[in-house]
Amino acid sequence: MSARNGLLRESVFAVMLLLVFGFSESRVVGAQQQDPNKHKDFFEMSIEELMDVPVVVSASRQAQKISELSVPVSVITAEDIHYSGLTSIPEILQFAPGMDVLQIDRNRYAVGVRGLHEVYSDRMLGLIDGRAADSINTGGPRFPQWPILLEDIERIEIVRGPGGAAWGANAFNGVVNIITKEPEDCLGWLTSTQFNQFGDSYSYIRWAEKMGKWSWRQSVGYQSQVSSDEAIDNDDFYSHDFSRNLRFDNKVVYRATEDTKVSFGLGYSYLESGDFEFGGRLLYKNNRINTMRFFTRVDHDFARETSGYLQFFSNLSTAKEPALLEYSENENDIEGQLNFVPAEGHLASVGGNFRLVHIDGERSSDPQTFVFHGSPVTENWAGLFAMDRWDITDRLTLEGQIRGDNYSETQLDWSARIAGLYALDDEKNHVLRLGGARAFRAPAITIRQGSAQRIPHPFVPGAYLLNLVPAPEDLHNEGMYSLEAGYTGRITKMLTIRADGYYQRFEHLIGFATLPDPLSIGRIFFTTANIDGADAWGSEVELAVEDRRGKLSVWYAYNDFQTDQEEQPLRAYLPATHKVGLTGRLYLNEGWTLNLNYRYTDVTSGEHANPLNPTNPGPSNTLDLTVAKRLFKGNGELLMGVANLLAEDNDAVSAVGSLTDHETPGRMFFARMQLKF
Amino acid sequence: MKIRAYIFVVVFLVLFVGPRTWADSTASREYQVKAAFLYNFIKFVDWPKEKVTDPNAPLTIGIIGKDPFEDAFEPLQEKAARDRKVVIQRFEGFVELEKSGKKKKDQPHPKSQDIQKCHLLFICPSESERIPDIIASVKGHSVLTVADTQGFLESGGIINFIMEEQKVRFEINVTNARRAKLQIRSQLLRLAKRVIDEKDAEGNKNK
Repeated sequence: MSARNGLLRESVFAVMLLLVFGFSESRVVGAQQQDPNKHKDFFEMSIEELMDVPVVVSASRQAQKISELSVPVSVITAEDIHYSGLTSIPEILQFAPGMDVLQIDRNRYAVGVRGLHEVYSDRMLGLIDGRAADSINTGGPRFPQWPILLEDIERIEIVRGPGGAAWGANAFNGVVNIITKEPEDCLGWLTSTQFNQFGDSYSYIRWAEKMGKWSWRQSVGYQSQVSSDEAIDNDDFYSHDFSRNLRFDNKVVYRATEDTKVSFGLGYSYLESGDFEFGGRLLYKNNRINTMRFFTRVDHDFARETSGYLQFFSNLSTAKEPALLEYSENENDIEGQLNFVPAEGHLASVGGNFRLVHIDGERSSDPQTFVFHGSPVTENWAGLFAMDRWDITDRLTLEGQIRGDNYSETQLDWSARIAGLYALDDEKNHVLRLGGARAFRAPAITIRQGSAQRIPHPFVPGAYLLNLVPAPEDLHNEGMYSLEAGYTGRITKMLTIRADGYYQRFEHLIGFATLPDPLSIGRIFFTTANIDGADAWGSEVELAVEDRRGKLSVWYAYNDFQTDQEEQPLRAYLPATHKVGLTGRLYLNEGWTLNLNYRYTDVTSGEHANPLNPTNPGPSNTLDLTVAKRLFKGNGELLMGVANLLAEDNDAVSAVGSLTDHETPGRMFFARMQLKF
Repeated sequence: MKIRAYIFVVVFLVLFVGPRTWADSTASREYQVKAAFLYNFIKFVDWPKEKVTDPNAPLTIGIIGKDPFEDAFEPLQEKAARDRKVVIQRFEGFVELEKSGKKKKDQPHPKSQDIQKCHLLFICPSESERIPDIIASVKGHSVLTVADTQGFLESGGIINFIMEEQKVRFEINVTNARRAKLQIRSQLLRLAKRVIDEKDAEGNKNK
């Protein structure tokens, strides 16, 4: 690190310390002065104005709401995102219980719930407002491509374990569902600009308006990141992991009647990034990926407790990744759901979807390009589901879900969940949960029909040392059975505790299997195959204290994973066995807010992920701190912070399929200015 | 390493040891908004003359049960409605009293007279099972009963809060209001999500 950068860091440090002590003094002075007008605002509003005020469900209601769910769910709120100062979804996800997040380079993260994480992780389902957001060809979420601006996120729901019918097919080991804000909840203009000491920037502007029955939200953002080499000194490897990302997101809502809402939206992102080494190949060319998402949806309340929706969405992505592949993919999905009360004490839902997928892995003149055999292909997917929640008594609830899916390229499969919830008290402050589930994961086209050849043979022209061939036709879906138990308790008005335990049995896990070289000339052939199963068990415990003054939550996750075979390839990392997280936030007088995020991650085993270049990252400590000050009578905010305070740079972590890896920047000082009007 | 330790100490002191100054209400935003709604309801309801004989007497908002409002009513200390001061009176709930043995199920509330003097009575969610008993205890005393419990209007209540798309709405049972000799002004009725009026239903039946 150069002397100039060191001086800059130290200077920012000093400024932050001054701010900390500065407002400590102002807190002491202000201790005797309460602002009498602080919550007079609501009493000076008319009823019409009060009806426009969005309210987060009260702590007690939220605790009850989470405790009434049959799955363990963590929620990252808009405030958590706002005060973290972070600019990417994976960085934000790492502070949720049970999440495993590894940074591969500045654009790629291995993200998973309870492990099984890798860059193209297909064991976790990614959704945006409940709609599929995973890459069609690899089957996992590609967060940088999502046309989502962080300040447009209302909350992120993370389901640990099989999601069951409620979250759709392929809700295998976990679900990450990004819920975006309704236009009515963010009216007005918002501008934001953020930069750090490396020269990264994130700028964003949003306009949301309401006019009669119409409301809309338009957001545009541009994010730029320098490569690791520009940010930190690295003599061993020349990294090319810069990125420039333009995003646009639009949502329109029309409230046709009191009972009918029509919404539609369009999102677009253009990502230009440096390529990365895969299978020994690095061209130092740029990747260009266009992603477009469109949806339209009608929600209707038919009668008391009977409602439904009908939705169509279309996702289109085209990519030119010279070192990897070139493709275009498109999925079109129509789905509907009906919620109704079939009998007293029951709340049922039925629904289904039909999806048409088109993938074209374009061939190029480069023989080392990754291709999909049989491309272009058109696939279809149809699913039906039913759910019922039965309040047997005031304290005992039973919930059942079942879903069947037929994927044209694999087989008919099913997922299900049954859970019982028992409240230990009349007020449902203490709830026990016991459940079981079954889930499956259908392999995407990359896993089924992908082929590639890399590293030219030194002695045999036209031959290559590494050869990936398509999987056999009988490649089976991965399956999982889960047993779960949990407890949610509201100990006091402010203090809640949540504990979840699980045992999972995996079957038919897909990994890379080696094949004999037909010509015995020293080549490595491999393919994807159902290798074997695995067992996983563990628990997550979270303690949270929250009121209007702030929040403090501490969690511990124990996630263990044992494959049936000792060196069983999994295409993913195992979960870090021990993880600890802490989030603290204080709302102080005169518009100051302090925020702290901390996470400890144990060693992560990479032996099952990348046998060619296994890395076992960790243990690591991550500490993020921010200080925010409201300005201009609440219409502006200045936030300063440091991410990853404890590490100057992060250890190198290899991605599946890569032979090399490199360090990435750690400690990052940043500042952000936001204005609302 | 030294600087890191220093920062840790500073952060620890700031977060966990330093003096606290809190500016915001401890009640959730939902209940801050509902508190303001209750204050507004008073402006749009007319009580019979016998309930408001003394022009200097305050208007009383009673809260019965486990109080979710906490300090949300603090600003009311400086406010008035209908040219009268507004006071808040809190009562232990039927459920609490019976659990602690202070009252048997068929006995009246020890403060029933004070409850009957309230102009508006908010029945907290903790009392949801005893709503019919509470409403019966204020029958004939022109008390505007309000709650945020499903089925409240059907159980004899007058105004019920509901949530819609994370915003507070309300529904009104005009028939129950009429029985309590309360007149609800049209400005309030117009804003209600649902209005139950058995008089309209009977009129339609006779057409």
